[in-house]
Amino acid sequence: MKVTFSIQLLFLSLIFLFNGCSDKLTRVMPYEKEHFADVKMSLSPLAERAEHEGHIFLIREASAGGDSAYQGGCGCR
Amino acid sequence: MKALLVLLALGLNLYGGISVGDKAPNFKLKTLDGTKSYSLNRLRGKVVLVNLWASWCKGCQKEMPEFVKLQKSYKKGFKLVTINVDDDPKKGEKFLKSVAQKTAQKIPFITLANPTKSIAKAYKCVAMPSSYLIDKNGIIRDIIVGSLNANDMKALKKEINQIK
Repeated sequence: MKVTFSIQLLFLSLIFLFNGCSDKLTRVMPYEKEHFADVKMSLSPLAERAEHEGHIFLIREASAGGDSAYQGGCGCR
Repeated sequence: MKALLVLLALGLNLYGGISVGDKAPNFKLKTLDGTKSYSLNRLRGKVVLVNLWASWCKGCQKEMPEFVKLQKSYKKGFKLVTINVDDDPKKGEKFLKSVAQKTAQKIPFITLANPTKSIAKAYKCVAMPSSYLIDKNGIIRDIIVGSLNANDMKALKKEINQIK
């Protein structure tokens, strides 16, 4: 397929356009990540809760591994 | 044509960064407690290390006690200027008080507040923390991205002594 000059020009202008968007609108700069660094933003803010959730996951999925918990899958711990 | 477009796209993304050899953008900011103001131009004639930090940044927390030691080891010719980019400068002030308690020393360097983050933008900061070593003529001689440990400080001291 032969790419015409106008398509090339369109592609080029799209690069300019989207590059502008990525820089000015959507990119969170490292010095703007105060709220992301908040403990509330972590997936498991509480270590105890994370362990409990892991325990529940083991019971529900009947599979172990990938974390520090150890048991036979009976859910009795 | 494809190669040209790829190169152009890469070039556009890399364009605009600050680099070694560039003139350091000037700033005039108030201290964290709001009592004094400092400008980079006022420190001309001294080697200056500008450090961008925040109280929420783990790397910044780690390197701050090392900065206390660094500034203490220079009486003349070198000044460390830390610029806090917290939304609330009181958080930065609180963190520095805890550093002073831990190290049992007064904070010996200049601590400025920049809640608008205009200086981080002017220096095109790519990661937190970032430090910029500026010579006597206001030219950036090194850009250090990430936190500095005790070994890095030794290397930094060598660099400072070379341009002092």
